[in-house]
Amino acid sequence: MAAPSICVPGQRLGRLDDNTTSGNGTYERNGFIYSSLAGYLESKDIDDGKKLVEVRTDTKKNIVPSVDAIVTARITNVTPRFCKCIMLSVGKTPLNEPFRGMLRKEDVRATEKDKVEMYKCFRPGDIIVARVLSLGDAHSYLLSTTENELGVVMAVSEAGATMVPISWCKMKCPKTMSEEPRKVAKVQPQFLQYSGT
Amino acid sequence: MAGLELLSDQGFRIDGRRPHELRKIQCRLGIFKQADGSAYIEQGNTKVLAAVYGPHEIRGSRGKALHDKVLVNCQYSMATFSTGERKRRPRGDRKSQEMTMHLKQTFDAAIQTALYPRSQIDIFVEVLQSDGGNYCASVNAATLAVIDAGIPMKDYVCACSASFVSDTPIVDISYLEESSGGPELIVATLPKSEQIVFLEQNSRLHEDNLSKVLDLAVKGTKDVHHVLDQAVREHVSQVSAFENTDQS
Repeated sequence: MAAPSICVPGQRLGRLDDNTTSGNGTYERNGFIYSSLAGYLESKDIDDGKKLVEVRTDTKKNIVPSVDAIVTARITNVTPRFCKCIMLSVGKTPLNEPFRGMLRKEDVRATEKDKVEMYKCFRPGDIIVARVLSLGDAHSYLLSTTENELGVVMAVSEAGATMVPISWCKMKCPKTMSEEPRKVAKVQPQFLQYSGT
Repeated sequence: MAGLELLSDQGFRIDGRRPHELRKIQCRLGIFKQADGSAYIEQGNTKVLAAVYGPHEIRGSRGKALHDKVLVNCQYSMATFSTGERKRRPRGDRKSQEMTMHLKQTFDAAIQTALYPRSQIDIFVEVLQSDGGNYCASVNAATLAVIDAGIPMKDYVCACSASFVSDTPIVDISYLEESSGGPELIVATLPKSEQIVFLEQNSRLHEDNLSKVLDLAVKGTKDVHHVLDQAVREHVSQVSAFENTDQS
């Protein structure tokens, strides 16, 4: 492979036409693709015969949570109406610094919303997988776990052992065999990857 | 004024430069571990440090958050020992506040702010030694720091000053030339697309001469861009070379 070429912000990378798409670290202006980062130029072919032009950097990518993204978060605070958490990663990318999020009672599950009891769904310290609902109202990000795949993925029991899920609403402590209620996520392989285990 | 002619008969300036010559620029990227991006620049005797943090969650008053773009927060400060006469307040005085605002406006225009809604980017600039062209050096240092932080920008922002002495436009003026009472034009551009993002003028300059001075200043920003560009390319190749040896 030829030595990858270095590009810098504002550098023109090529013409924007039907066969090319601009990816990370680039932007489009006046029918051309420009670089917006300092890094290495990378162009690869994606499925429908198009060429994706990207700028790759060695430094870790800076990202912020966006609407509809799947995030991994740790519960910090539980109240009857909502619980607060800090988001640790977005998709597969860990966040450089934690962002605060809020999960309201109405957004815990899709059915029987009015019967949700926050204490029976989450406890402080639980690791959850959630979807970003909206960018909140000037406070913090609003999260939702109204899908089967979303909810608690890791929790520690009162005895201090990591619990195993036994149903969608219960987890069991392997040490004391006691059961604790949680809104358990039906963990999918891709989410297992997300939580980095 | 006797003994203080800014441009000699031979066409040299006080520090021996020709009218169109910049001072020597030396710069380094990534000088702090803690900051996400940092840079140090020397333009002649003007020395500036810049550090960039972010994008991160809004700090301080959360009401400042912008729902569709990132908040660029700048702080300009001058070390107490940076000037000939010791400064009392490193920041917070009128001049620094104005400078802070100008930096904010400049980088609002250059950073792709729409990518990080409801977040904040902090740019801290510290002037260690001041010899004219503080704003220019600050902008140039902050540009390098932003690039080092990996924050997407439309282009470099390069700034340069210019003046007009005895019918000749001079570029990148030093403290002596700045304080002689002549006109001072400060311009910041996106050099590749030739867009002006900031323009300031102090003192009076005849309209007929404006375009001459402006042209020279814009050319100065392109020269600055050339120097910064080389530094960034060198830094990028060095960093990756280092990482490759790290892995093996």
